Amino acid sequence: MLGLLVKDLRITLTRKYALLIILFIALIMSLSMEGPFIIGYLTMIALMLAVSTIAYDEMDNGYAFMMTMPFSRKAYVREKYLFCLISALIAWCIGAIIYCGIYLYRNDVSAIMEQLPAQLVLIPVFFVLPAIMIPLQLKLGAERSRIATYIIFGLVAGIIITAKRLFGNADLPLDPEIALDGFSPVLALIAIVAVCLLIAFSSYLCSARIVMKKEF
Amino acid sequence: MVIIDNLAKNYGGFRLNVSMEIPNGTVTGIIGKNGAGKTTIIKAILGLIRPDEGHVTINGIESTALSGADKAGIGVALSDSGFSRYLDLKDVICILKKMYPTFDEDFFRKSCAAQGLALDKKLKDYSTGMHAKLRVLTAISHKADLLIMDEPTAGLDVEARNEILDMLRQYLSDNENCSILLTSHISSDIESLCDDIYLINDGKIILHEDTDTVLSNYAILKVNEDDYETLDKSYILSTKKENFGYVCFTNEKQFYVDNYPDIIIENGKIDDLILMMTGGK
Repeated sequence: MLGLLVKDLRITLTRKYALLIILFIALIMSLSMEGPFIIGYLTMIALMLAVSTIAYDEMDNGYAFMMTMPFSRKAYVREKYLFCLISALIAWCIGAIIYCGIYLYRNDVSAIMEQLPAQLVLIPVFFVLPAIMIPLQLKLGAERSRIATYIIFGLVAGIIITAKRLFGNADLPLDPEIALDGFSPVLALIAIVAVCLLIAFSSYLCSARIVMKKEF
Repeated sequence: MVIIDNLAKNYGGFRLNVSMEIPNGTVTGIIGKNGAGKTTIIKAILGLIRPDEGHVTINGIESTALSGADKAGIGVALSDSGFSRYLDLKDVICILKKMYPTFDEDFFRKSCAAQGLALDKKLKDYSTGMHAKLRVLTAISHKADLLIMDEPTAGLDVEARNEILDMLRQYLSDNENCSILLTSHISSDIESLCDDIYLINDGKIILHEDTDTVLSNYAILKVNEDDYETLDKSYILSTKKENFGYVCFTNEKQFYVDNYPDIIIENGKIDDLILMMTGGK
């Protein structure tokens, strides 16, 4: 497992210049914008980069050799989710440090204390993205999974727009603020995290099944 | 020990159906034309594909159920697969160090330097020969008991091929109980390294023989049409029509040396074995 994590870290670091550019853009944007945008932005980018290591594994028939190394197929799948989580946590921390730095510079410490803890919920919420993309990449490969991801997100957007049009005048709780109205914020947070964990675990089971059946 | 018991694998119209054994401490070669099924056997042994029928076991464990610890005892060099080409040798060393508890970093670094493999050069900038050397060095760097090499010298010049074969010979002399399974269609590699040979054609093993036996007992007979009519064909394995008459392949050279002193008899080579056993009539 440790070897796989090192491999993915090394592969990610081969794009160090791209990472520095992303960080620079995030810094500029957070300086010109209010709020903790940079935390979510970096967390999302880190998750996408972590998922893209699967494409590197697949490239040039790399799977065949990699799967002869001393780990089980399930360990490979577990490592992908773990690497995504570690990447998201590191990116979140970097984002939080930059965010704190900017707010300290602006002498607005109270805002940090109010906003920062709530930003933690971004990690499980954004983890839904790799939870969708990892099984797709493992099943379809990098190219076809990209198309499948576009189709899935397109369908989700289509369903939301259609639902809003159809039930726009009805008093349905489609807005999260309306839906969560009356709930305790802590309970709502726990519910969101639980749903995200459930999605991530289902995704892991699905990915493990795909890899166990796969031939290289 | 690797035991392949009635392994069957179907790919469209192609069917692989083989049984074989690789005892401890032996170097076994699989030879055959492209598409004969050599790589499919390798993949089945490594658990990369699932047999449709039969079993493949390594030291009594099904290849598809090998644990990480079991796999650590196997060194693998595949012809068309390796580390990501975006990594460099320093990355590879870090990965191998974490992957294999028995990884010999000192040996690996020294061997890479001796073979001219640059530490900070991306693998995508390596030549074909450098890739092949890296694959073999990776396989032999963690004291594996079983080496599985799929076409380790394919596409290389004579010098690079000899360097790779020398590495394997050195590994064998340092690790006497090590077994090697080698596939190749380069006959000289097999002749110089393997104890026994499996000849595979169209998914089936058509011959299993000790290399020494092939080189000493097998022969090519060149006979004209009249001699061919009178020739005792009891020990003829394969015959091919040529302009001058017939080329016959036998596994009893001495019989024909003793009984037919006038016909041309040439020592059998692995190339002849492949050509005559897979292409003759």
